[in-house]
Amino acid sequence: MNLLKDLLLAVQTAATADSLVDATRDLAAICSDLPANSSDQLTAINCLIELLSANNPGAAVAAVDGLIACKTAAVQPILNNLDEHNYGARAWAVRALAQIGDPRGLAVLQRAIEQDIGPSVRRAAAMGLGHIKLAELSPEEKLETMEICLAGLKLGCADGEWIVRYAAVVGLENFGRNSASSFAQACLLLLQARSQEAIEEAPVVRLRAAQALAAFS
Amino acid sequence: MDKKILPGEPINEVEALQRLQQQEDPSQRCYAAWWLGRMRSQHPDVIPLLLKALEIKPTATEAAIAVARSAARSLGKLHAKTALAPLIQALLHPDHGLREAAARSLGELGDSKAIKPLMERLLLPGADEPVGNGLHLGEPCEALLEAIGQICITIKFETNQDFQQPLERFLQNKRPVVASAASRALLQISGNPKWAEPMLALLEHPQLQMRRAALMDLGACGWRPAAEAISCCLAENSLKLIALRNLVEQPLIISGSISLGAREQQLLALMDKLL
Repeated sequence: MNLLKDLLLAVQTAATADSLVDATRDLAAICSDLPANSSDQLTAINCLIELLSANNPGAAVAAVDGLIACKTAAVQPILNNLDEHNYGARAWAVRALAQIGDPRGLAVLQRAIEQDIGPSVRRAAAMGLGHIKLAELSPEEKLETMEICLAGLKLGCADGEWIVRYAAVVGLENFGRNSASSFAQACLLLLQARSQEAIEEAPVVRLRAAQALAAFS
Repeated sequence: MDKKILPGEPINEVEALQRLQQQEDPSQRCYAAWWLGRMRSQHPDVIPLLLKALEIKPTATEAAIAVARSAARSLGKLHAKTALAPLIQALLHPDHGLREAAARSLGELGDSKAIKPLMERLLLPGADEPVGNGLHLGEPCEALLEAIGQICITIKFETNQDFQQPLERFLQNKRPVVASAASRALLQISGNPKWAEPMLALLEHPQLQMRRAALMDLGACGWRPAAEAISCCLAENSLKLIALRNLVEQPLIISGSISLGAREQQLLALMDKLL
């Protein structure tokens, strides 16, 4: 496909930060339209993954959007290419996995919320743990997945960084809405704690927790 | 034998006070002054010692000036009310760096008595012209403007057109940081949307560094109308989230206490999308 070749070439030859952003946007825009799981799509996905390491936030945002649009097709390539040594790139990859919500990304999100040193990585993980798509899992897998998600969200609520706690609140709101009563009850308690001034120091987190609680009732 | 102290080695409060008190090694005094401010030390000896370090002659040595700058910064961090007059005095010192540190700390103290001396310094002839090797302007304009803006929002200081007008010429300054500081201060002082425009324009600047600075400036102003533009700016989400948090928590124009109104819901929705 010539268009794809042109777009890949535009990314490779981009001379300025701005032209790299434009080229990445163009590639991201067509990526999800390529036949799912074709070699063309895989090539495009791998190029977007490489762009996460380009140290260009504009290009990374566009690349993440492209990966998210490819949905489950992007999951395995992202997992295969996780860069342990590039903090920024890993943050973007976790963000893409968090948005896609594929259960195969669960282990990465769990590890990120537990031990990643980067607040922005834990932030993405906390949001993602509340948005895992459970529909296609067997009842046993579903229960196990939900337990891991809830444990991760609980950790997120106790994080030292306000933005991670904020993301955990957003995750809990979605998770609690879509789960059975015992899980919903646990979410409610965690959200109530986050809405209290004696427990939560950041006003914006308390406000978001109050908003989530209003959505519950 | 002297105890060998390595730079960057963890120290405690007692140690820091001793280092600030001794006179032999200025670099140790400098470090101690910084450390005590950084750690928000509450020890009763700290502020008197910092004030002593700040009190230097116009002809002081380079080393003594460095200690005084460090002390000036820490007095601001510690919100030392008794430092008001000495910091105003330090605005007159020939050393540019000391005047800059004093201006920033006066901003942190947030006392209206500092406004007049800060303005006087800013409006000196040649204040906004490059001097010497061109590294500095005649006065530390950026710090002076920021301090004036910060004091005005801290105390909800009422100003008039006569007060704002002299600041307007700094909008045309060739240095983007000075021009930004001017629009930020004017916005903080007046709440007039026209002063937000230069910062909003910078959100689309080709250089990431400029976009980042504009983000943080708009956030620091609590300028809520900028929220949508902030959320689409090409910069790291972490910075955009910090700026949006400021808009939620410290709006420039507040009507009553912060509650979950329609605008707050919109701001939170913008934040959610950036996670």
